[in-house]
Amino acid sequence: MEPNELVRFEAAMLPHLDAAHNLARYLLRDASAAADAVQDAYLRALRHFGGWRGADARAWLLAIVRNVCRSTRPGGDAVEFDEAVHSGDIADENPAAELDRREARETLEQALERLPAEFREVIVLRELEGLSYKEIADVTGVPVGTVMSRLSRARERLHRALVAAAGGRS
Amino acid sequence: MTCREVELRLDAYVDGELAEPEAREVAAHLAQCRVCAARHDSLMALRAAITAQVSYHRADAALRRRVRAAVQAAAGTGRRRWPVLWRPLAAAAMIAFVAIGAWQASAARAARDELAGDVLASHVRSLLGEHLTDVASTDQHTVKPWFNGRLDFSPPVYDFAGVGFPLVGGRLDYVDGRPVAALVYGRRRHVINVFLWPAGHGSAAGAAAETRQGYHLRHWTTPAFVYWVVSDLGTAELDQFAELLRRADAVAP
Repeated sequence: MEPNELVRFEAAMLPHLDAAHNLARYLLRDASAAADAVQDAYLRALRHFGGWRGADARAWLLAIVRNVCRSTRPGGDAVEFDEAVHSGDIADENPAAELDRREARETLEQALERLPAEFREVIVLRELEGLSYKEIADVTGVPVGTVMSRLSRARERLHRALVAAAGGRS
Repeated sequence: MTCREVELRLDAYVDGELAEPEAREVAAHLAQCRVCAARHDSLMALRAAITAQVSYHRADAALRRRVRAAVQAAAGTGRRRWPVLWRPLAAAAMIAFVAIGAWQASAARAARDELAGDVLASHVRSLLGEHLTDVASTDQHTVKPWFNGRLDFSPPVYDFAGVGFPLVGGRLDYVDGRPVAALVYGRRRHVINVFLWPAGHGSAAGAAAETRQGYHLRHWTTPAFVYWVVSDLGTAELDQFAELLRRADAVAP
């Protein structure tokens, strides 16, 4: 590879190393597996850099990270997606306000860890990365409508986990 | 819009993903339906809790080094660096200066020469491609926080628009083998690149002013940062800009 091309690659892709690592970390739920996946993803990105059209570098890289994580994830998810379990209304309580910061953090992180990967990734991409629905659709390879419904259900689940934690405490 | 229709659109609404006529209808419904308004508030509270509470796992310095090393090895260039080319020259210069007992000064100068080459190359690169800025903004309060998590230090960003040097934006760059902040300021059609990174780590204190390939470079160190400023701007105006930066740093908290 030409040195200039390498410079271009590094300038475009290295700024998104944090985003790549954060996504891998949430998808794989393991620090050292996440680090391996990130390195693997950058090498794949380098090989396919010629195919990058100069559009959104972060979304392009995250799609690769996601593919690497999916191919390395051992044995799928512990918790399988069950449509029936989460079709319900969001209650109108505000449990986040009742829990203190530490409780809210623990509850949310545990609930997030337990979400099926398809739900976990939309929360990470939307709430932690701030990607648009269209960008999330590009990263995850599903239609925008699917992104929307997954996001809605994922939030519903997290909300319910907070409600349960707040209820269990009082 | 019925409550059910609003409910189905609530996520898209809070995410700013609803088209304008629909968003207006949802807003109108929320203004007069307490049940949906409560649901909306609850969703907003959940989103706030997620962003505030859930950990963002940044890549640490070790992973950053590891990824760069792997990429460079795979690219097969091994990143040709200046030091290799300069080594014979530096050695020759050193022998000459040892004779007059000033070899330390020469070593420092060789290192600075190398840095100046790096900085100039980065400046030229930023002008060639479309990659002048990663974050384009005239607002220092947008540019400064952009570096959070991308660098292990927070670069001072100033607004000199009032004195004719408006902020253009910021960029992550690499100089001397480490990530640095590159702040871009403008003067009419001229671009000024300000490279800075934390002082220390063996970086020599000092100052320099030189001209290479038609570009003017200014270098100085403060207790906190190493500065390199590059532009094709006239030397008088560039010195004026450098003075503004130094003074701003001196009074910064």
